[in-house]
Amino acid sequence: MRAVYGQHWRINLLTALEYRENFLLWSAFTVVYHGTAIATLWVVLHTFPSMNGWDFKDMAFLYGLWMLAHAIHDTVFFGVANVPEYIRDGEFDRLLVRPLDTLFAVIAIPGQIFPDELILALGYFVVATVYSGVRVDAIFVLCVPLVVLGGTLIELAINLIVATIAFWFVRVDALRWIVLQLEQEFTRYPIGIYSRGVRLFLTFVFPFAFMNYFPATYFLHKSEGALGLPPVVGLLTPAVGLIFFGAAYVFWRFGLNRYKGVGH
Amino acid sequence: MTIIETVDLKKVFRSVVRRPGIGGAFAALFSREYEEKVAVENVNLSLQEGEIVGYLGPNGAGKSTTIKMLTGILVPTSGSVRVAGIVPWKHRQQNGQNIGVVFGQRSQLYWDLPLRESFELLRAIYDVPHDRFAQNMRHFNEILDLDRFMETLVRQLSLGERMRGDFAAAMLHDPKIVFLDEPTIGLDVVAKEAIREFVATMNRERGTTVILTTHDLADVERLAPRIVLIDEGTVIYDGQLAALREEYGVYRTLVITLAENYPEISVEGAQIHERDGSIARLRFNRHEVTAETLIRRVLDTYRITDLAIEEPDIDSIVRRIYTEGYRAQPLPIGG
Amino acid sequence: MALAVRPRFRFEPYVEFGKKAIAREATYRFEVFTSIGSFVLRMYLLRMVWVALYAHNAAPRGLPLHAILTYSAVALLMGLVLDIDQVSSLYDKLHDGSIVSDFMRPILVPLYFFADGTGEVLFHAALVLPALALALLIVHIDVPSATTLATFALSFVLGYFVGFCINFILNCVAFWTLEINAVQLIVTFLTDLLGGELVPLIFFPLAFQHVLFALPFAAMFSTPLLIYVGEIGPDRYASALGIQAAWLVGLAIVCVVLWRAGSRRIVVQGG
Repeated sequence: MRAVYGQHWRINLLTALEYRENFLLWSAFTVVYHGTAIATLWVVLHTFPSMNGWDFKDMAFLYGLWMLAHAIHDTVFFGVANVPEYIRDGEFDRLLVRPLDTLFAVIAIPGQIFPDELILALGYFVVATVYSGVRVDAIFVLCVPLVVLGGTLIELAINLIVATIAFWFVRVDALRWIVLQLEQEFTRYPIGIYSRGVRLFLTFVFPFAFMNYFPATYFLHKSEGALGLPPVVGLLTPAVGLIFFGAAYVFWRFGLNRYKGVGH
Repeated sequence: MTIIETVDLKKVFRSVVRRPGIGGAFAALFSREYEEKVAVENVNLSLQEGEIVGYLGPNGAGKSTTIKMLTGILVPTSGSVRVAGIVPWKHRQQNGQNIGVVFGQRSQLYWDLPLRESFELLRAIYDVPHDRFAQNMRHFNEILDLDRFMETLVRQLSLGERMRGDFAAAMLHDPKIVFLDEPTIGLDVVAKEAIREFVATMNRERGTTVILTTHDLADVERLAPRIVLIDEGTVIYDGQLAALREEYGVYRTLVITLAENYPEISVEGAQIHERDGSIARLRFNRHEVTAETLIRRVLDTYRITDLAIEEPDIDSIVRRIYTEGYRAQPLPIGG
Repeated sequence: MALAVRPRFRFEPYVEFGKKAIAREATYRFEVFTSIGSFVLRMYLLRMVWVALYAHNAAPRGLPLHAILTYSAVALLMGLVLDIDQVSSLYDKLHDGSIVSDFMRPILVPLYFFADGTGEVLFHAALVLPALALALLIVHIDVPSATTLATFALSFVLGYFVGFCINFILNCVAFWTLEINAVQLIVTFLTDLLGGELVPLIFFPLAFQHVLFALPFAAMFSTPLLIYVGEIGPDRYASALGIQAAWLVGLAIVCVVLWRAGSRRIVVQGG
């Protein structure tokens, strides 16, 4: 399994380098994408220094937590996002035939991904941590990797849910787009600015707030998190991630069995 | 009147040299090497209005490149080209009005529209007067039977249907010249015949000049008295098909069905090309012995129940030229 | 020999192209859902963000809360209509070779792309009504005077042309490199930020503002928007529109030059 995956990395690398402008440009795009997000935050907070008690340093760190989880997800689990397309063009049926757990097979499909985003995310996270003045103690070193991985699981789970819906609805592009936009843009700000309904949704239904907001409240020593929750709740992200992913996986298996049962 | 003229037409393509392996791929990030390929060189063509010319050659010989220069898509590296008096790539708009094109491999119809709407859009593009448009559509429908699938989306048409649509589209604006690039590829025998009939009719009724590139030599035999042969970017033959057959097609074949089981056959002046039970194929050089003489000799020696004469087929003639190169004296261009 | 007489210019083919583009867009129902859904999310987000920011900080000169909310709403509506920065028709046609058919027709190919793109925009313009209705559920949108609205409309149209030119120029790059998706996305994101769609340019540090107002991105979004909310007053209408027009002319020239050069060196597969 690992050999197969490693093999695909080599192909990715060769393919990416062959189309030289391609590779450089897509890396440039990654930089621009994240760069404009942070630049927007900077500009806004330059004129309006505080948002619900959060300043630019806080927001920079907030973004860093999300970005790292997102980068890991996109680099490692990009296959899942393509499932709706595979179902549409019949490629998915080929995977069902392989002697591998289907989800693993999906993840192992080679794509165009090169770890430039991951490298950028790591670099940015280090800089943001230093810049925001967060205390890098034992708890930090121990918990941050777990929190980030928990965040990755949350993003993976949501993609899995959308992929499962594709078993029934085939065209889920619009849904996927909306959900991703919700994840990417709403997590840039402390969720305290949203109305109560949205806060509850982002905490207990699609727990994007656990990807970065709640952990950030803890590490930045904020006095209180949204919904009156104590900041230490932020350390629960790994658990939240596992639970949410577990639920998504159950849903996935359910959908998969229905799909196989219907007969193709 | 000369309607197409090229003088020393030449086209060179530049492409990047790929280097193998990961090391090469990395190196390519920093520097690149180019290689040049001469696609077409020294092409001198002269076509008269109303001619039908077959433009033949193996894959990669430069046929498509030449056609693309004549239709204004590619700009020649050097040399000159004039189609209906204008330089195609310089005056694309004007050139577009003078020509019609059918690509066998790609449709020019609008993929997401019903066929009828595709034609209406083309009418607007080519500024075809409404009555002429109606007249043409009626005429095309008679020959090509389009009404059956006029309302179908173009992308849902079968290959044969789509090709017929493309032909109608190419002729819709009464172009002076029509370029047919592999027009019968993939079609069944009936469809091919319909297409050939259409082309012959258009040429006869309207005097449309036709340039036909194809791999199916039956197309050429049916339609084009004159052929231009191109190989590796240069013209190696330009003349009448009949003359080519005369030149190269010296060998005819007499096929006889023997009445008895003769163990051995031998006839003066002929070579036993093949023997399969009671069928024997005798090859003879038309310049050395006439068919009449040979038949008499056979009848004098053997008892037969049936005989037939096979002409040299254009396929093998052209194949020989491709592989061996053209060696006879050059015939006057235009035959 | 026939003379190469310049054919008389006709509108009819291009009008037909535009109509076909509208009909085509109408078949993409999912894109419509995505556009509207995305619009609603963004509208909500922007409202919450600005409300929170204005609550705890001193309001900047000239742009009270209702003005910035109006700005955001109109900006998002503009973005809905001008959803053309991802248009890659020329690029697609170069890639699959279908450009060949267009080159052989008696039409000016760049005008074809313009007619096609404008058709798409006109279709998206129809989405403004439902989007506007939804936006009004979330924020209040100021309505300026008739003169201001008219100037805004003019500025908006100029901005559209500038955007079209930029998109066309990027598509032309496909003649040389054959890969433009990444570049297009980069330009899209830069435009959103530097054009003042997300954040009004007047919120940028002063030093940046001088540069940003001079860029064509500002001509696409910032100028019409600032006219709408009154930040650019009637005394500056002429100069603001003038800068837009100047960019339009300059970019149009680049378009012509690139198109000429690119169409000369076109390479299409197949021998």
